[in-house]
Amino acid sequence: MAEKLRNITFAQAIRTALRAEMKRDERVILFGEDVGYYGGVYGATVGLQKEFGEDRVRDTPISEMAIAGVAVGAALAGYRPVAEIMYCDFLAHASDAIVNNAAKWRYMSGGQFALPIVFRSPGGGGAGYAAQHSQSLEAWFAHIPGLKVVAPSLPRDARGLLKAAIRDDNPVVFLEHKAHYTFKGEVPVEEEVIPLGVAEVKRAGNDVTVVSWSKTLTFALEAAETLAAEGIDTEVIDPRTLQPLDIEAILASIGKTRHLVVAHEAVQFGGLGGEIVAQVAERALDSLKRPPVRVAAPFVPIPYSEPMELRVIPQVADIVAGVRRSLG
Amino acid sequence: MAAKDREQLLHFYEDMLRIRFFEEKVRDVLLPGKLFRGSSHLAIGQEAVAVGAIHALREDDLVVSTHRGHGHAMAKGLDPRSMFAEVMGRKTGCCRGKGGSMHLSDAGLGFVGENPVVGSNTPMAAGLALAAKLEGSDRLVAAFFGEGALNTGAFHEAANLAALWQLPVLFLCEDNLYAISVPLERSSALQDLERRAEAYGIQGQRVNGMRVMEVYEAVSRVAQETRERSVPSYLVFDTYRFEGHHTSDKQTYRTRDEALEEFRKRDPIHILEFEMIDDHTVPIPLTIEYRDRIRAEIDEAFEQALQEPWPEADEALAGAYAEGGE
Repeated sequence: MAEKLRNITFAQAIRTALRAEMKRDERVILFGEDVGYYGGVYGATVGLQKEFGEDRVRDTPISEMAIAGVAVGAALAGYRPVAEIMYCDFLAHASDAIVNNAAKWRYMSGGQFALPIVFRSPGGGGAGYAAQHSQSLEAWFAHIPGLKVVAPSLPRDARGLLKAAIRDDNPVVFLEHKAHYTFKGEVPVEEEVIPLGVAEVKRAGNDVTVVSWSKTLTFALEAAETLAAEGIDTEVIDPRTLQPLDIEAILASIGKTRHLVVAHEAVQFGGLGGEIVAQVAERALDSLKRPPVRVAAPFVPIPYSEPMELRVIPQVADIVAGVRRSLG
Repeated sequence: MAAKDREQLLHFYEDMLRIRFFEEKVRDVLLPGKLFRGSSHLAIGQEAVAVGAIHALREDDLVVSTHRGHGHAMAKGLDPRSMFAEVMGRKTGCCRGKGGSMHLSDAGLGFVGENPVVGSNTPMAAGLALAAKLEGSDRLVAAFFGEGALNTGAFHEAANLAALWQLPVLFLCEDNLYAISVPLERSSALQDLERRAEAYGIQGQRVNGMRVMEVYEAVSRVAQETRERSVPSYLVFDTYRFEGHHTSDKQTYRTRDEALEEFRKRDPIHILEFEMIDDHTVPIPLTIEYRDRIRAEIDEAFEQALQEPWPEADEALAGAYAEGGE
């Protein structure tokens, strides 16, 4: 029987997951700037304060250190907080609580505590927000033992992964793409929890593997269509979770295609493309017929003006070119 | 003095001695014997704050502490053996050797833990208090920090939020005059530290942190208010650390005489002994008996911990993540 689907936006997918988890478990609480009455600057929490009350859905002052630190404290005391940091750039403020406390408290205590926290935060560029509101910082957090990092692309993944993140006993940095909240996609009507750490083949192909996530994944899918017209059969893999990373899925794909491209919006230097290429090189260099290719941002901040921003953020054409390069 | 009060005073005395002797053992045996790695931050001189404050709390109240937290940990009930084992990196330590001196914790005892990132524990305290409030519990959360933490943004964000959300947090500031080397007058624009939360409507009070009974009474008073009204409270304890900031602190910022002079005049344990003897609460031989007994207990805890096993090196690779979830 075909599954029943409905078409919703990425923001609605987030909201649906939050609402379902709040109904399921009264220990799930939400707080952050403008998440209550206003429903979040991107509308991901609309109506939740009205439905669940001001105790469970709280507007906070502009105090990112306190938002993240309160999440740590509430989690240590048995709650399952979902803290929203309005822009991932402001995770810089919140990082002490996330990196020094949330990520390490369990380990440092010899396993006495659990920290079931989700830090939701929009990142990414393409919307003209310039250098301090457009970064892609997944590599910062994927580099920290104790944290999990999720960067969904399609609404279905956003919903299913957020539910899994809320139910997880570890702190999860859940990165949404701000230029993607209105992106629509199909989700099953039935509840679906998508486990963290499991990649998905978004498009099957035989000639080349493109690994991509967040908004860039949708560019990779478009690029695959362009390439198909040229007779290049592209496989597109979405790791969905970046920490832990499902490298096995990537290796399996390369075993078939023998070519690798990693495409992401974050700057190339120190980006996760490097990590993926390195792991593939260590474990399956012989599978690759040609050197792997990274398609990522050059090493500059995100500029404001549109032609410059489009130059910096990888676009469909950049991925198409990267695939061609990888095939020689 | 009523028998009950005498008993309580002796209980405080015992706990203060236990902390002092633990830390003296760290200073005199563990550090020179290289049985202790990294930095040790001793609170010798600050025992009255830990003991007086924590005894004024209920058993189910939670405590978050700092890098200088051996005393807080022990006053909250951690066993000296498991603390020695932890600071010596043994498998049987309270954190299985993964935390060490700066990360002691015991979930079962409500000692949520030391947090050696200055100021960082205050938003956590607000979160723990939010949980208590949401649960409908009248449990409260005590956050210890040094006066240096008053200059962090984290403290001010936490104080504002605790006042705004009416969270049951006791902000307990131990003013020991130095942030490593920098004295108070060169780190705080306002010298009246008890006023540093006034902007959030929190009226602080200054307390003599060298007299355990005064600490106990002050904390009991504000704890009752915090518990009943679910509002934060703020106390500043005048105290002094007699040792350096940490092991390798050369203490060039103060003269040796200054520390000795302070010790002679203000040692909280001497003050308590002197008062108990002076008002005939206890005879001198009893204080000697206490000292001998507690010292023997600490010696034994140390000897025991010394025999305890090291963790397997590969245990380092486990435990960064919890398995599963809901």
